[in-house]
Amino acid sequence: MSRESILETAKQSIVEADEDMALEALKQAEESGIDLIDLLSNGYSAGMKELGDLFGSGEIFLPELMFATQVMKVATAEIESRMEPGDIKPKGVMVIGTVEGDVHDIGKGIVASLIKTNGVMVHDLGREVPAQVFIDKAKELNADFIGSSALLTTTMTQQKKIEELLETEGLKGKIRTMVGGAPVTQRWADRIGADAYCEDASEAVKKIMEWINQI
Amino acid sequence: MGEEKKYFTRMGDGSIVHMTEQEIRQDIEEGIQDAAKRGKIDPLTDDEKEKLYQIITMPGSIVGVEHGMQIVTSNDSGSDKINTKCGIPTSRDVNAMIHERLLGCDSVDIGYSDYNYKTVKGVAKREATVLKQALNYCTMPLFYGAMPNLGFYTKPDGPVDNWAVLLPEGKIEEALAAQEEAVDHAVRDIVYVAEQMNDVGADGFMLDTSGAAGDADFLVALKATEIIRDRFPDMPVEIGMAGEFVLGMHGKIKYNDVRLAGLYPHKQVKLVEQAGASIFGAVVNTNSNRSFPWNIGRVCTFVKACTDVAEIPVHANVGMGVCGIPMCENLPSDIVSRADKALIEICKIDGL
Amino acid sequence: MGGVRTAGDLVMRLQLAKKMKINEAKAYVAEKLGVNLEELCDVVTMSEKREEMGLGLAHVEPCAEANAGMAAKFQIAKALDIKINSVERFKERAGL
Repeated sequence: MSRESILETAKQSIVEADEDMALEALKQAEESGIDLIDLLSNGYSAGMKELGDLFGSGEIFLPELMFATQVMKVATAEIESRMEPGDIKPKGVMVIGTVEGDVHDIGKGIVASLIKTNGVMVHDLGREVPAQVFIDKAKELNADFIGSSALLTTTMTQQKKIEELLETEGLKGKIRTMVGGAPVTQRWADRIGADAYCEDASEAVKKIMEWINQI
Repeated sequence: MGEEKKYFTRMGDGSIVHMTEQEIRQDIEEGIQDAAKRGKIDPLTDDEKEKLYQIITMPGSIVGVEHGMQIVTSNDSGSDKINTKCGIPTSRDVNAMIHERLLGCDSVDIGYSDYNYKTVKGVAKREATVLKQALNYCTMPLFYGAMPNLGFYTKPDGPVDNWAVLLPEGKIEEALAAQEEAVDHAVRDIVYVAEQMNDVGADGFMLDTSGAAGDADFLVALKATEIIRDRFPDMPVEIGMAGEFVLGMHGKIKYNDVRLAGLYPHKQVKLVEQAGASIFGAVVNTNSNRSFPWNIGRVCTFVKACTDVAEIPVHANVGMGVCGIPMCENLPSDIVSRADKALIEICKIDGL
Repeated sequence: MGGVRTAGDLVMRLQLAKKMKINEAKAYVAEKLGVNLEELCDVVTMSEKREEMGLGLAHVEPCAEANAGMAAKFQIAKALDIKINSVERFKERAGL
């Protein structure tokens, strides 16, 4: 079977959340001698990207996305089990959370899930996360990125605190920050010195991948 | 050669920009096409696009509607904002009178500062007392309003497991069940609060930002409205939405055999009518990275499709971050007046 | 529409009570009050009309005589031929 048709099968297995199809694509790839990293990046991940676009345009919904994510996890685990440790490195490490005083986490959860499926190790700190905890966890986990979400005008000030703490601890520029949430805008991101503002989950993924390619 | 004329307008985050005629017309068109594609609805006509362009580029910082086209207003948590937003320590019944006699409002709602029904349930009778007091003083209609905010029913703040955590863990069936359980709790609380407000004579009951937590959240508003209209027929209900699109956090939830996930305003309003509400608050979120011409083109396309089919009054939610208004705390009157004029004269809304 | 300075609150009541769209609600109120649509949105005409019919005003001078609040709503319910919830509850509590 050709490389293109196997990659297409892998992609479709994610779009259709079909675990059997995903494992069949892996088997075909192995039989055809196709590089498994190639299969992961250009097959399965291409399916996640398509789903992300469909989710963004409202043609599929969160549970369908999550079903596909489970299939992606299975496929990724199978490939990892066939590789030497260290062959598949996470593309980056991110800590993400909803800021202190804020319990809204739906959007943040969607962002975390989508970024995870793009090969970034994501540590979701949950909700009502104090600014200092963002910094402490980022240091502990050697994070490349910090993502913070705020849904209230009264809590978004915590995002400014995160920037100030990064400055104080000499981490500004070493860890990139992205901010999001309903009242958050590019103007706010510029004012507080955040590295990026993301309107929605698709933009967050795009920005992270852009940063990863620069590393 | 002279520089091409540019017009004052703003971005969706409130920043001032100056755009040429071509840039404005292009953004209007792109905003319209975005809405038409997503909602599978008709774009604005050429005449409507031209009118929109004229409104955006009108001279004067503030513009007004043509005489005779004035419409009415309802609010969300209006009576508390003098206190919480402006820091002027007044009681809510006095705030209501200020809205009536100084600000020229057509109605206002009494709302709690922790503006959600789960919290209000605990102080519902005290809230009803405030409303009763205000109803004695005020002539204009007074609502009681708050948000369903289904997310507040998740642990640790509420009784059900957090589906935003369960979903990424792959516990999908558990996540769906949690949402369904939360719906029952929320409907119960809202109906309880409605009973207290009806007892003191509320002129209306508002369910604000319905759908904020997704399709299950929208179901809460519909089911609660059905019950309220049946039990308290003298108290009309207004359902205001959270966005133009009902997010499919559950994906399979239906009301009267219609799946709620993915609905846009022209479909949302039909279910709101079926539930028995008197007013539908259509919402279109502002994209803070795009210009006002882009945003208002998109807004008008969605809202017009809604008013074209609505059999009940449509009150477009025109406030911070919605219906073309920038996402900023102090709203620029140049944009607010233009958004109002466009929605009234092009979309033929019944209220704001 | 200007609320109690004109007829905005009255039009709003028709939207609530009878789910009328804006033009229908305006026409209904105008007919009940004996004014035309232009006068309905006119603060000068409507101030006089509301004072005459006791329908409540924005400024309530002369304070002792002018109707406001619950008293005005009794008159509004009668004038517009609608039920107003706060009026009905008030009657129940007052034993009327």
